[in-house]
Amino acid sequence: MLINAKHAFNQHSETVLIEKVKSGDQQAYAALYTLHVKRVYALCLRLLADREHAEDATQEVFVQLWHKIASFEGQSQFSTWLHSVTSNIAISYLRKHKNWLQKVVSFEQSGMDEQSADDCQGLNGLDKLVLRLPERARMVFVLHAIEGYRHEEIATMLGMAVGSSKSQFHRARQLLKEWYENEQA
Amino acid sequence: MSKLDFEEFLVESLNRSQTELPPQKDLWPGIEKALSHKLPQQTKVAVWPKLAGVAACTVGALLTAQLLFNTPQQKTGVAMSDYFTEQKQSLLVQYQNQPALTNNWQQQLNELEEAESAIKQALENEPENPALLKMLAQIYQQQLDLINKVHAPKWQQI
Repeated sequence: MLINAKHAFNQHSETVLIEKVKSGDQQAYAALYTLHVKRVYALCLRLLADREHAEDATQEVFVQLWHKIASFEGQSQFSTWLHSVTSNIAISYLRKHKNWLQKVVSFEQSGMDEQSADDCQGLNGLDKLVLRLPERARMVFVLHAIEGYRHEEIATMLGMAVGSSKSQFHRARQLLKEWYENEQA
Repeated sequence: MSKLDFEEFLVESLNRSQTELPPQKDLWPGIEKALSHKLPQQTKVAVWPKLAGVAACTVGALLTAQLLFNTPQQKTGVAMSDYFTEQKQSLLVQYQNQPALTNNWQQQLNELEEAESAIKQALENEPENPALLKMLAQIYQQQLDLINKVHAPKWQQI
């Protein structure tokens, strides 16, 4: 009962903050940022597998969010909506930052190296393996297994066929399994 | 056995997955800076792309209307050029005090203007050639797009 009341209070105060932000209150926006930055950064890090890029993308999310928030009508939870905004911005961030060679030959970027992934604090064993996955397999795995998007939605977001999304997910699972079993051996 | 182990590991890890991770540096100052840079220009950001769109659509609509009704009083290309020149001048005046995002945009504009001249020259021989008129409309649209794009106030650095 107490937990429900606390949750309701938090929801109410978040709604008040959002309304203030919509009217241009930057202090309220700073408070909203504090509430959500860790979730946004975690998602950006998982999708981009690079700490600096994840920080840049997180900043981009909050810069764009300031202008997009007027379109949030409260039909879904704010955190759900924010996750969707974050996923889309992280994906477009990745597209924008591909170099010309990657664009021309559709060269897929590999994931984080094992040492860098191990150095990421706060990540569990699976996350550290996920960061090592190649780009497409990683994004599909994060969006499907962690964020709960359907393959149809992922296909639209990433501009790939539904079948490709499924095969990338399978590929991700195979690699994770192989790495995990090697670690256990 | 190992498959089951991996499946267990996967399910457990996904259930315990941290939804929150703190970034290593404070990102707020950069965001605040970007917002303060962007705020005064916000209305322009919202208005000019729309105006460019409206202008481009109007050029297209004008071309279509001229092609359909083919007014005998005035040549299509001339009417389109008049309208475009007005739009282009209006944009250039609006953006005259605003820094461009690239240094070579005027060179790009010159190249488009050269293409415009070549098409106009061809139109002198065939004033109502639909393919040439379409090319001219596209060149006009590219010029408007270029002017808008290089002057669009954009958050560039945090």
